[in-house]
Amino acid sequence: MNKSWNSYHSHNGGDYFDELITATGTPRPEARHAVRLLQDLSSTEMAARRGAAELAIREMGISFTIYSEGKNIDRAWPFDIIPRIISDREWQQVSRGLAQRTRALNCFIDDIYNRQKILADGLLPAEIVLESGNYKPQCAGVSPRYGAWAHICGTDLVRDKDGRFYVLEDNLRVPSGVSYMLENREITKRVLPELFKNYSILPVDDYPSRLYSTLASLSPRDQRRPCIVVLTPGIFNSAYFEHAYLAQGMGAELVEGSDLFVDADDCLYMRTVDGPERVDVVYRRIDDDFLDPEAFREDSTLGIPGIMRAWKKGNVAIANAPGSGVADDKVVYAFVPEMIRYYLKEEPSLASVKTYLCMNQPDRDYVLANLDKLVVKPANESGGYGLMVGPHATAARRAEFARLIEANPRNYIAQPTLSLSTAPTYIDDAVEPRHLDLRPFILQARDSWVTPGGLTRVALVKGSLVVNSSQGGGSKDTWIVESLTQDSPT
Amino acid sequence: MIMLSRVAERLYWMARYLERAEDTARLTQAYSHLVMDIPAGSEPGWDILVRILDAQIPFGENHRTYDEQNVLTFLIADEDNPGSVHFCIRAARENVRTTRDVLPEEVWEHVNELYLFSQESAAKSVGRRHRHQFLEQVINRCQMINGLLMTTLCRDHAYRFIKLGHLLERADMTTRVIDVGAGALLGHERLNKAVDPLIWACLLQSLSAMGTYRRTIGPLVEANAVVEFVFRERSLPRSVRFCLDGIRQELVPLKNHAEALKVLDRSRRSLSRFNPDTARREDLHDFIDRFQLELNTLGNVIVSTWFMPRVDTSGKG
Repeated sequence: MNKSWNSYHSHNGGDYFDELITATGTPRPEARHAVRLLQDLSSTEMAARRGAAELAIREMGISFTIYSEGKNIDRAWPFDIIPRIISDREWQQVSRGLAQRTRALNCFIDDIYNRQKILADGLLPAEIVLESGNYKPQCAGVSPRYGAWAHICGTDLVRDKDGRFYVLEDNLRVPSGVSYMLENREITKRVLPELFKNYSILPVDDYPSRLYSTLASLSPRDQRRPCIVVLTPGIFNSAYFEHAYLAQGMGAELVEGSDLFVDADDCLYMRTVDGPERVDVVYRRIDDDFLDPEAFREDSTLGIPGIMRAWKKGNVAIANAPGSGVADDKVVYAFVPEMIRYYLKEEPSLASVKTYLCMNQPDRDYVLANLDKLVVKPANESGGYGLMVGPHATAARRAEFARLIEANPRNYIAQPTLSLSTAPTYIDDAVEPRHLDLRPFILQARDSWVTPGGLTRVALVKGSLVVNSSQGGGSKDTWIVESLTQDSPT
Repeated sequence: MIMLSRVAERLYWMARYLERAEDTARLTQAYSHLVMDIPAGSEPGWDILVRILDAQIPFGENHRTYDEQNVLTFLIADEDNPGSVHFCIRAARENVRTTRDVLPEEVWEHVNELYLFSQESAAKSVGRRHRHQFLEQVINRCQMINGLLMTTLCRDHAYRFIKLGHLLERADMTTRVIDVGAGALLGHERLNKAVDPLIWACLLQSLSAMGTYRRTIGPLVEANAVVEFVFRERSLPRSVRFCLDGIRQELVPLKNHAEALKVLDRSRRSLSRFNPDTARREDLHDFIDRFQLELNTLGNVIVSTWFMPRVDTSGKG
């Protein structure tokens, strides 16, 4: 056995669930072949494979952009070569839960912008929804096809000490990361081809065609090949790589706001070398606020004046629909299990994390008294910004958050600190446990579809729980493997 | 097939920059070899390279003397000179980076590799020792990318605008190669009859046209015959005539091409009227100057016809 694995199991004293290695130090059944093979690689071999992965990433130009002190820096995508492995038996259940959750969230959004039944029935206080910055009154009265608003969702899952998956948050606005999920698989195939021999791994690479079918089904015109565009804020956006990747994967046009215009007929067109061309579906990767200077922020130069008008008239479909963010508010999150029961008459099959709403007096008192044990999050931020992990925070930082909560309780929620699961990660010369999460992607139009696996993000800094790539996170290829029934664990 | 005006513009510039990188490398390569062939004392100055690229002004911003080190730094590694090999490669990459979705995937990979190579090596390759190898690599990689485009790109608008960019840039650069040969630049009084064929042979080599010249025209390299050959040989892919014919072929299927065709046909007429046998070296140089202006006009018409129909948002917000 390669000595870089030597101390692995002693790290894992059962405080965390490890994705590949059990508490007794043996590989989990679904990971057994892969772990053995990796352990047989010499240190030199491991380093060579990592080098090959880094080279592939550079050559494939897989990058993300970070903003730092007013500058844009293009960074190579940080990738760990050891895959994360999940059995398909477990995944089927998670997948069902994700689809169920996305259906319920879409029912909720459609309800909020139309009849507001759920508010009338008192399941959640109207002001939580209607006073949220994510509620867009401009969208009221619109009924997108199939009642689907959030067509592409990225739901963040974590696995706690008990080995169960919990939903951490739903990203319903412009979730990103799916291209990295696809590229991670490509890289693993290039650098560790022998790992694939003993496995039957569910392929991920049909995502772009699934996305295409989902978007095409939204087209307002009955056309054999509707005109679909991916709307990007441009090359300086952190996810530009992904926008281009998906456009190419779908054979769609990658457009910027200035390529599009709404004509007197309230239809959307793009400027082409042959003249204006009608657009049927916009997969937009810019936020609501920048979408249409006529309807939202007047100073937006990224958007298209009049696109909301075209959308409301049904002349163009927008995915995700404007206003979808109303359901990914972290306060609304606390009510999702209720929504599932209310709209679908089903029991939630995926667990949510216990959430304290600072707007409620008893919850707030509890949060303020237990700041050192909780994770406090602002309701409307994403990307891990503005969040406080109580057990890791300084006293000054906790005091600052106490003040913030008192000043604006509606804007804060708190959750118990979960023991995020770990997985063997190749750091310098050794294999060490690092915490990770998982972001599967769910497509929703008439039917729903869930990616097999998703994007695993890993906190490369020892002990850290922050997995965001903008803050020192990396990623892993994620495998959903068919269970080997005749091959029992040793 | 739909082609966004913005994308067409970027593809066109990608092609122009790739071609410019390759042609500048070819020219620099050929000239470096030439200098070694000419007896000490009568070798031409390095300033010629800057002058035929009409780059005296940007050169003067950072350098004073036209010595080998300065000129080669300026042409190979300069970060700000829009004619330097490295600048062109970087600009080509930026254009590909924003049009990856309409190009075969390998194009981005190869252009990106070319950029990484240039980033790593350009500055180190100004000196004679590594120069040859670097320029050779740039030429090879550019040709590989061109080959990739030619053999994988669907013959639609993307291909069309790429080809327009390539051919227009190549036509321009080919006239500049001939301009080196024109006595106006070389200060002919310094040169004798023995050196003259060396120069023309070197120029033919920079266009990869030496072999074809020998087979088509004959073994003797002679000024007027070379000019005639490089200007008007319709079967030679780097001849001016070939480039203009190719441009015409790509303009015809485009909508709203009337203005561009008018300008192009004017250039084709002036090319066919020029007679190398009766022209003196000065006439040749003047002709090339005028001709380059015509190509410039054609470039402007292409931009305003197919790339401009965009709203300018820079005034807002």
